[in-house]
Amino acid sequence: MAIDPHTHVPIYEQIAHRVRCSIAAGAYRPHEPLPSIRETARELLVNPNTVQRAYDALERAGLVYAKRGVGLFVADHAAESAQAAAESAVVHNLEQALGAARAAGVSNQRVRQLFEQAIQQPQPSEGAAP
Amino acid sequence: MSEPAIVIDRLSKSFRGQTVVDEVGLTIEPGQVLGLIGPNGAGKSTTIKMLIGQLRPDRGEARVLGLDPIRNAVAMKRLIGYVPERHCVYPWMRVGQAIGFTRSFYPTWDDGFCQSLVDTFELPLGRKVRQLSKGMTAKLSLLLAIAHRPTVLILDEPMSGVDAVVRDEFFDGLLQTIGEQRCSVLFSSHTLADVQRIADAVGLIYEGRLLAHRPVDEMLRSIRRLRGVLHDGQAPPNPPPHTIHQRRDGREWIVTVDRYEDGVLESLHQTRRFTHLEAEGLGLEEIFKDYVKGRRSA
Repeated sequence: MAIDPHTHVPIYEQIAHRVRCSIAAGAYRPHEPLPSIRETARELLVNPNTVQRAYDALERAGLVYAKRGVGLFVADHAAESAQAAAESAVVHNLEQALGAARAAGVSNQRVRQLFEQAIQQPQPSEGAAP
Repeated sequence: MSEPAIVIDRLSKSFRGQTVVDEVGLTIEPGQVLGLIGPNGAGKSTTIKMLIGQLRPDRGEARVLGLDPIRNAVAMKRLIGYVPERHCVYPWMRVGQAIGFTRSFYPTWDDGFCQSLVDTFELPLGRKVRQLSKGMTAKLSLLLAIAHRPTVLILDEPMSGVDAVVRDEFFDGLLQTIGEQRCSVLFSSHTLADVQRIADAVGLIYEGRLLAHRPVDEMLRSIRRLRGVLHDGQAPPNPPPHTIHQRRDGREWIVTVDRYEDGVLESLHQTRRFTHLEAEGLGLEEIFKDYVKGRRSA
């Protein structure tokens, strides 16, 4: 997932979300290091201050911990917390979609139908099975 | 608290009676990256020229690392890097000569860093500067501005007219400088996506005045565009407080507000004038356009 500099979602939130997804997916396991701030900034072509802000947010959420002068490491049970955070993001998005549907006068029954249709659609990112 | 890297205080400049920069004030903290945005002729370049001592302000003052850009010009220039809008590297020199010449002015020149930039930018040392492509010239200009490891970096439209690949290389060089030595940066740009990507804060200049100066994240969070569809025959309500821009398009009423909170949409609902109401977040580019339109119609 690339950084999108055109939306209203601050870039540090996009980075924090990326890392949360990677932890939830098991790409980084407990007590393994995260890529350094400088590496991440260069890879994503963003300001290191922004990566710092993302890492601070993850640290406050208890997903990672800092070792002075070494870097950031994945916390115990981070995958479960990351999964929970990812799910609450999904809930938030669904609530927004529901709000829009109600504002547009779409019935609950129709929303269920549309949701079923959407969930049947193959996911582009998961479609490429080995 | 360490002192700010750049302080601009009520800076003003006129040319032939025409005010180009009008009481602009802003501060850049150490390690902070500020993107200066605004339409052509808004006063960005004039502000930058006063900051680096190329122009004398009529009123107000500029300080870079506590130094006066005109009185302490030599001391200041050793500590800053500057990439001008027109990359005026000596066109008659070869690339290697231009590097050697610039190097001679700076006791802090970092040969290792310089060499690594020559390698990653793939600069042809033997070629005449005037024969370089636009992108190559931009990269050389950046190298000449950062190889002495400046504490403050000032760039005027550094990436205008360069392609996406060069832009990424340019950013990479810039980010290395920011990341390794907590360099403070002021850069002006037309490309709002670049500003959103790199800047901690933005300064929005329009007709010589600073319309906004705030952190990018805070701005993205507090500005929303509301769209309402009016019932037939209904006039739009008074715009909410902190409206930046509003317009009406048939039944549709579109208003961009600052300091948005959930209550705003709720109180508009209660006017019972709308069949539909929604709020959407905006990227920096859309925010900028609405600021400018709001000013024009004011």
